[in-house]
Formats: sequence, C-alpha cells, structure tokens
Amino acid sequence: MNLFRLPDELIFSALCQQFPCRDPQIRALATLLHPSAAPCPNLVLHGTEATGKTAITSALLSKLSSSLDNQDEKEGPTLRYAIINSLECITARHLYETAVAKVAAALEWDLSSSGRCESVSQLTVELCKMLKYPSRPDGFRFVLVFDGIDRQREAPGTLLPGLARLSEIIPRLTTLFIVTTPPPSLHLHPPIPHIYFPPYSKPDYVTILSATKPPPPSPTTSPSDTADLWMRFIGAVYDSLAKAACRTLPALKHACETLWPRFTAPIAQGIYGAREFSKLLVAGRVLFQDENVLEPGVVSLPPAGSSKPSLPSNPNPSFITAGPLSPVKKPPQPSATLKGTTTADLATLLPPTARLLLLASYLASHNPSRYDITLFSTHYHGRKRRLGGPKLKSSTPGQRSKHRKISRKLLGAHAFVLERMLAIYAAVRSEWDPKFNLREGDEVVALTGDVDVGMALATLASLRLLVKVGGAGGGGSAAMGGIGLSGGGGLVPADVMDRGGKWRVNVGWEFVRRVGRSLGVEVEEWLVE
Amino acid sequence: MAQVHSSTVPFEEDDHRAAFIFSSGEDDRQLPTAASRPAKKRKLAGAGKKAASQPQLQQPAFGSDSTFIPLFNGAESPEAVNLRKELFEASWPVLETRIQHVLREANRSTLDEVTAFLQQAAQEKTEKITAGFIITGPNIVSQDLLFEQLSERLYTEIRARVVRLRASEVSNLKAALKKIIRDATANESEDDDGSVVVPSTVSKALFYEAGVRTMDVDPKKGRKYLDYDLDVLSWSDRIQFDVLFGVATSVELFQARLPRSTARLLYGAQFDVVQANSVLESVVKTAVAGSRATLRIGPSLLRSLVDRQQEQVAGIQLFVSSVKYAYMCHFYANPLSVLLAKQLDRKLLQPEHLRAVRMLESFKAKVEVAIDARQMNHAQAMIEDDDYLIAQILEQQQKCEDYLKQLLRTLHLISSTGLSTVSFTELYMTALSKGIDLEQADEMIRPAEVVRRMNADEFLNFIQKLLHATETGSPELELQGWASEAEEFVDAVTELRGEVEGLMERSKHNGTTLRSQYSAQSKVLRTTVVAQKVQLSQDTAALTEEDKAYTKAIDTMTALLSQYLRCEPINNLFLHEIWVYDSKLPYREVFVPRPGAAFARGLSRPHDYLACACCSKVDGGLSSTLPTTCILYHLYLEAGALINVADLWSAYYGLVGNDDDGSMNREGLDERSALVCFYRGLAELRMMGLVKQSRKRADHIAKLKWL
Repeated sequence: MNLFRLPDELIFSALCQQFPCRDPQIRALATLLHPSAAPCPNLVLHGTEATGKTAITSALLSKLSSSLDNQDEKEGPTLRYAIINSLECITARHLYETAVAKVAAALEWDLSSSGRCESVSQLTVELCKMLKYPSRPDGFRFVLVFDGIDRQREAPGTLLPGLARLSEIIPRLTTLFIVTTPPPSLHLHPPIPHIYFPPYSKPDYVTILSATKPPPPSPTTSPSDTADLWMRFIGAVYDSLAKAACRTLPALKHACETLWPRFTAPIAQGIYGAREFSKLLVAGRVLFQDENVLEPGVVSLPPAGSSKPSLPSNPNPSFITAGPLSPVKKPPQPSATLKGTTTADLATLLPPTARLLLLASYLASHNPSRYDITLFSTHYHGRKRRLGGPKLKSSTPGQRSKHRKISRKLLGAHAFVLERMLAIYAAVRSEWDPKFNLREGDEVVALTGDVDVGMALATLASLRLLVKVGGAGGGGSAAMGGIGLSGGGGLVPADVMDRGGKWRVNVGWEFVRRVGRSLGVEVEEWLVE
Repeated sequence: MAQVHSSTVPFEEDDHRAAFIFSSGEDDRQLPTAASRPAKKRKLAGAGKKAASQPQLQQPAFGSDSTFIPLFNGAESPEAVNLRKELFEASWPVLETRIQHVLREANRSTLDEVTAFLQQAAQEKTEKITAGFIITGPNIVSQDLLFEQLSERLYTEIRARVVRLRASEVSNLKAALKKIIRDATANESEDDDGSVVVPSTVSKALFYEAGVRTMDVDPKKGRKYLDYDLDVLSWSDRIQFDVLFGVATSVELFQARLPRSTARLLYGAQFDVVQANSVLESVVKTAVAGSRATLRIGPSLLRSLVDRQQEQVAGIQLFVSSVKYAYMCHFYANPLSVLLAKQLDRKLLQPEHLRAVRMLESFKAKVEVAIDARQMNHAQAMIEDDDYLIAQILEQQQKCEDYLKQLLRTLHLISSTGLSTVSFTELYMTALSKGIDLEQADEMIRPAEVVRRMNADEFLNFIQKLLHATETGSPELELQGWASEAEEFVDAVTELRGEVEGLMERSKHNGTTLRSQYSAQSKVLRTTVVAQKVQLSQDTAALTEEDKAYTKAIDTMTALLSQYLRCEPINNLFLHEIWVYDSKLPYREVFVPRPGAAFARGLSRPHDYLACACCSKVDGGLSSTLPTTCILYHLYLEAGALINVADLWSAYYGLVGNDDDGSMNREGLDERSALVCFYRGLAELRMMGLVKQSRKRADHIAKLKWL
C-alpha cells in the first residue's frame, strides 16, 4: 500500500460531467478529503451563492465513500461523513445535537444517551465517544461538513474556533466549513486550506445551461438547430441582462426560461427560421432591455387568463412573471374565475375615513410643519392655498447657495405628532370628503375625539401603513420633575391614541397617489416641494 | 347601582364592565361573586345526580328577573318580563345562525379557488414553494372565519393539516416552529399512524411527513417571515408543504418587503375575498329585510348603520353586532315588545301596556284619522274600551304581516327584474322611509321608462322574470312563491305575454320588427333645405297596427306595475313602534362614543354632571368653585403651546386662594391645600393625556391636545 494515492479517475469524470466547469475545485477537494491522498484536519470552501459548493461536496463525499466501500481490500481506507446544514438549525444547541445525531447515524452507532448537547465542549465529548475511543482501522477518515456555518443563528462567538479545534482533539476527523465569505479570522490560520469557488464566467454559463434542453420553438425545428439557437440565446441573455444585473445561475436560468418562448415566437409563427439568430435578436430586442425578467414575481399565476404566449410586441407584465417553460400548459382554473371579480386594490378596500387619514398622514410626514398655516389655514384667503405651496426663493441663477437642499421627497417620511396630523385631517376634510358638507347639516360633525377616527387609526397601524416612531409611551413616561411630580409616569400605557406619540407614514408616493385618486384628490397639490 | 349589581350577579359580566363599583358594606360576604362561583362549578361538574339543593335555590334567580328587569317602574308582571326574554331568545339566535350561514357562503368561492390551486400545485412538480396569497382586506376580524373554514375544508378535501401562524402570536422563528410542531402534531394521536412519538426536540419533529402543511401569516409584519420561508425551504425535500398568506394590504406591498431570493422560491397565486359591500348586501337581505326577522330595523337607524359601515368600518361583524344590539335594546327596554308574540295571551296585558299603547304616536295618528273620518264610536272605543283596543292590536298583528309580505314581494320583484339599478339595501331603506309609489316620479325606480325602453324580446324576457320571481320567491329573503295568491296579477301578465307573442309572430310574418311608440327608432329627424335654410323637423314614423297594439301592451304593463308594486312608508302603520326599532341614540352611544367630546364637556361644564348648587350660575365660565381640574382645564385652553407651570400656579392660586388684600370675605384655600389641589389637578390632566413635560424648556409643560 503506497502512502499517497489519488482518488479514482472515474469519480472525477462522472462528477465533472454532473458539475461542469468545476473541475479544479472537485479535484482539489477530493485530494484533501480522500483518506489515502492528502487528508487535512480543517478545510474551508467559500464562494458566492449558487456556485455549487454544497452540491459538489455532498456528491463527492457520497461517491468517495461508496467507492471506498466497494474496494476489496480488507484494511483499505474507509470514509464516513455527515453534513449538517446550519439553516435547519435554529440555535447553536440545535446544531450540536443535530451533529451528534448525524454522526451517530453515519457510524451506525447506537446513541443510547439522551443526546443532549449544550456546548462545544459537550459536542467534543460526544464526538470523542464515537470517533476517538473506539479503535478504528488505519485508513478510516470521518468528514464533518458544516454547511453555511456563517449563517448559523444564535451562534456563540466560540463556535467557529471551537469547531476548528475538533480535529485537533479527534484524530482522523476532517472538519469542512462551507461559507459564503470567509471571516477574516479564518485567514489567520495559514495551515487551513481554502478552496475558492469563483462565480461562473460567460462560457461557463453557456456550457452549464446548454445542458438543459429547451422545448423546440416549432415542431419542425431540428434538435441540433434548437440546441444551437439556445446556446446563442443564452449568450445574448447573459450579455444583455445577467452581466450587469444578476450574478447567479438560478436567476439567469429563470430569465432564459422565461424569455425563450417569447424569443422563439416568430419561429413558431413561421416568420423567421431557427437559424436566423440575428433577425430574431432584432425582432426581440425589447425583451433584452427589460430587466423586469430578473425580478422574481411572487405571483406566478397571472391574475387574468393570458394563457397564450404573448408576442414580443405585447409586453404583458403579468406574463413576465409566469415562470414555467411551457406557457401553453398554464393552469386554467383560478385565473379564469378571478378574472371577473374586481381587483382587490387596497385603495378600494380601505374605508374612506382610513384613506383620508392616510393622506393626511402623508402630508404631515412630507410637509414641513412651518408651511402648515400657509397650506391649511383659511384665515386670510377664505380658501386654502394649494398648488405647490410657497416657492422657495431662488437666488440669482449664477450664484449657488452654499448648502444645497435635498428635496424632501428624497429624504423620505418624517415623523409627525399625532395631533398635527389630526389637525390637518380636520382641515382638509371639508374639501376632500364629498359627504362632509351634507353631514354637517343634520348632526354635529364628529371631530377627532370620535371613536371612528381612532378605529381608522388602529386599522392603519395594524396594517403597518402608519408606524409609531420612538419608544413606547413617548413623552408620557417622562417624570414631571419641573413641578415636583414624580412617579406614576410609567403607569400610562402606550396606546395607539397616545397624543404624545410620534408617527410616520409607511407607504410610498405611488401608493398615496393612487389612494388620493380613489377619493378624487390630487395629493400633489397639497405638497410643498 | 351596587344594589343592582348584586341582584344581577349571575351574569358575571365584570369583564365587560367599564368601571367597578366598590361596595364596602354590610353584605360584603354575600357578594354574588363569592356565592355563585362555587355553585356554578358544582353545576358543571355534577350534571347528573349532584344537582342538589343549592343549584335549585339559585335557579329562579338565574332564570327570570335577573337579566330582564321589570319595566313600567317595576309594575310589569314577571310573566311579561319572561315573555320578552323568551321572545328575544327565540328571535335572535335564529337570525344569528342565518347570518353565519351567509358569511360562510360568501367565502365559498375563495375556498374553492384555494383548494383547487393547492391540488393542482401538488400535481405540478416545481422546486418552488406553493404559496397562495389571499387578499383579505383590512378587516382582520373576518379573517378568522375564513381561515377556520379553510382549514376544515383543506383537511377534508386533501387531508392537509393546517397550522395557523399569526404575526402577533409568533414573534420569532423559534416560537413559530414550536407552534407549527405543536399544532401539526396535535391531532396525531387520533390519526392512524400512532407510531409517531410526540417529539422532544425540534429536529425530530420536523422530519415528520405532514402531508401538505399550510400556514397563513397575517399581514406582512416585518421581514421575519421571509426568513422562515428560506429556512422552511431547506426542509421541503422532506416535508411537503404549502404556504398561504393572508395579506391585508396588497401583494405588491408584500412583495416589496420580500428579498428577491425568497421571492424566487415562491410559486404563488392570488385570491380575492368577497368584498365587504356584497357581504353587507346579503346580510341585510337575510337579517334585516328577510321575513325571518321579527324586529324591523327602522329606516333611519339602518341608514346610519349602513353609512357607517361604508364610510368607516371594514368588517361586517360590527354591523351584525349593531343589529343584535338593536334587538337587545328593543326587547330589554320596550315593554310593548311582548306584543310581538305570535299567540298573545290577553291576560298578560296589563293596564300599563294599554296605557303605553295609547301614548304611541301612531295611536294618536290613528285616532285623529278616525275623528276626521267621523268614526266617533271607533275613536272613542279605541280610547276608552280596553277590550276593543286589544282586539285592534291583535288585528293589527295580521296587518303587519301582510304589510311585510307585500313590501318584500314588491322589493323582490323590483330588484329581480331589473326595474331599479340601485342596491337592494338602498331600495329597502327607501321603501321603509318613503314607501313605494311608482306613479310619483321617483329617482330610483322608474318602471315606465325602463319598460318603455325595452324592445319586444326584452319585454318578453321581463315578463318571464316577473312570473318567475312570483313563482319562486326569494330564498335569501325567505320569501315563498306567491303565484297562487296573486292570481289576478299573474293572469294579467300572462295574458300580456300571450298578446305580445302573438304580435311578434304577426310582425315577423309581415317582415317588420315590432316596436312601440316609445322606442327611439320611431322618431326620425329630418333635414330639409328650404330657401337656403336648413330646417330640422321630427317625424313620427308610421306605426303599424301591431306596433300600436304593442304600445298599448306596454302601457297596460306600466299601469299594472304601478298598481301592483306599491307600499306605504312604515311609519304610517298603526302600532309600528312595536315592531320597528328606529332609535339611533343608544346605538351611537355604544358603538360610536365620543370620548373626546365627552371629556371636553365634562371638564368645561362640570355642573352639567355634578349638579351642585355652588356652580349653577357659572354656565361654562371660570369660577373658583369648580373642581380643580376643571379650573386648570380652562386655564389650559387659554394657554399657548408651552405652559409655564409657575404662571399656571399663580393664576390658579389667584383664583382660589385667600388673598391677603382686598376682598377678604370669600373663603379661599390656604396655600398648602391649594398646592395639593393644584398638583392633583395637574396630575389628572396628565393622566388624561392633555399635557406632558416639555424637554424644550425647564419648568414648562407642553400642550398635547389642540382639537
């Protein structure tokens, strides 16, 4: 038995076919894991997401261990492994216990104890029981894989160093860490080998994606033509969309699959042949300019029944998000029934009072309070001032003011006091609420002490369209030391109607404009730019 | 008040009490809470033989007068009180189950869609998580019912186990997982595979194959759920599950808060819930207008209920409870509600009842009408003869039923044949308040115009609808078909149909289309140029014999409709007060209280509430005899945004203190006790949320309430 022996070449060829463009990484990994090659105590794999770290590791480990098991040599090397996915472990303790359980399962060890494991040291003890003390043959090697260990929840600070020390205590153990970005502390230990999984390059992407066979654009297209077109298509998609805006394989794949039926629609219609790639490209150039394809839609099924493949000239946004490759097979049922019902727009779902309050909050959040009198007071003009409000005095054009002001719209929503918003509401209500004047006649107009306003506020707050800013209780808990009152401050519960609290509107301009239009209000007129 | 409390013990409504009344007194130990609690327990435990002496002792107090108090200043007989109670208990639950049924029915299509989507998604193999987004609208209360139904439905249809997560219940991932495991394994012991041990740790539990596991998440609260999705995905190769989100706002807002990597994992579809307006419509049909409703909600109350529903409230539940409250008020507080009983025992009616009846507006109106019509005997008997009045009352019951039937039939005909475009609710309210009289020009229903605009086919179709509505009635309104009762009408309509059909045949034979005088085509605009001037003239195209006959048929139809479809306003009925509840005030006080206004009034005019002698002359002004807090409130109203406490104190002390100089006569407070009062009043103002300490300036308080 020679000391150094590389793993079987057969394993590599099979794996390289399964995972193209990862040949060097596979070989390095296999060398560092194989018991009779150059096994090392600790190993770090790093690279951005979707570069094949986890898939390659698990495939390689299963191949290696099964190939070693199949060997006839009695005292030959054996490899056992356990993969622990940190995503599945919600606490560090959960991680330890999972590790113990998985190791025991890999060794077919009868785990008689309860399996409680609270810390790294306990983990060490448990692992020692299974790996260190029982006598193992010479060529035995155990690989413990911690997948995504950098994303472990509630991880104590000692987790990584502790796990890295495991292999010092337990011989014949390789601890493998799969991380997205290696923490700098890992670099402080030069003996730990790192294997980097770089992002794929364009040729890589083309190679990988051409492994998947797309449906032929028309029944008459030959498979070779389809494959050729598909390859060139992938290149085009990569250049136009993926290079700049998305980096991962799944996103590119998603984009390709979504665009493919629309890109090849002219072929299906018989306008162009499958070989006229440049003509197809020109015809479908709109497709490659729209980055919406990369935006994954939550709703995959289109709300309206657009089940036929739409033409490039008709960019239907609901279709863009429709994922599956074969849009003809679109599930028919929910869309058909949904079509008739009214679209559940929030602007129509909210009761009018709540909508008015939302608009008032938006104004309170976005208008500086010093303009309130100009905007909402009826004192001088008899009617409220609107249309842009006061213009900021522009100095002479050549002269730039010293500090340039950033538009308030860009600065986002400011916090406002509830009282101010209610005052704005009371002021604008007479103009915005069409029924306001009608109601004034027969009964006393309920002002802001009304429970209905409180209810609408609570609705908005529960929907998180309005959020409370600052600590609970606001100013209510401040002790009134100035007049010698103390104590009792904390007794005031922080509730929605606390007048002292500050609020902020939590929706954007587009939404507010829509809500405003549903009430017949142009919110723009009430905003000071 | 304390006495009342102790006598109405069995209710144990302390939880709902706005204020507790502490009675430290003689009968401390006999306080009902202490006495009734153990008795109740025993009652629950020993359902069988153990129903011993004490429960029996409690029983009468529990049964009769404890909840409904005798009216007429206590002169009402216990039988009448009991009858009122029974009436209430017989009428409301029936309605409530009907309403529940309506609400459940309203969700049906959503349930169908969701189930179909899940089934279809289960067949389609995707790597993504199936996610349904149910746009429930801002009405969170009604979501409960929907998701409850959903879990029942999914369990029976596709054997899915549903775990419901609410944003408020599960604050972090651990709690969410715990809840999922607990709920998903809760029913396990009843299931076939009893082999699954209730897991001790999280890890084991999640390996359990749970069919389709569905969870719903309340409105997107922050990003935490998004993490869950990612995590949960790592289990998806072992557990098949789907996610259903109850989204209160919109999918766009939801998506905006999702990271893209999560969004990519979802295979979603969007579902809408039936809108509140249509639910309201059917609830009104069932619970308010339907013939099962024993009590009518009057037009003005109904109007304010509906308005409020549309303007302010998103949920239907509030409407239902408002209706229930109206029932409660009527049966609890109106002694005449006993007259609603189907078989009224004459002995039950006390002299007080009859006196009360004679006080009613509608009684007075009726008597006046009788006098005007010179039916003196009738009027006199009504006023003086009790037996005569009772007979009249009993007779009126039948009349009311007839009126109701006529009303509902009319409304049903109008709404089902499309004579009016407004909603049923609107129609119903108008009919109650103004009555229906088709001959008077009414904005809502103009049958003549609608009918005249029809062509012959539409006309036949309309007749068909009329006959159909007459035959079948309306299940929603619980209205039976009444074709046998309205033979005259049916015959006339059928005759018209035959006639028009014949006319159509003939005109087809002649090769012309049947049209009436009213149809637009009959008028032809002519332009003639005479001496270089254009003249416009309207010509009536010549009508054939058939057309004239058809026109006549239409006229007959409109006459028939306006004769048949009519009803009076409800207020014109004799004794309508008994079966119509139209009082807005109790409703407003309970459902739309105005705490702000009440506070302001209480503080500015305390005399209205205290009725003390000292402040009677103040009338909203400032006076030293007012309670301290009120004085401070008055000063507060005059102050600016920031109030110097020292100034406030000196103003206050100037008002109540015993100044050393000048008008020494009045009895002022000395400085120390005034200071105590001042502190207390200021603390009360703060507790009411009117002021808070200002951080801007020392020794100042900030004014919080402006409106």
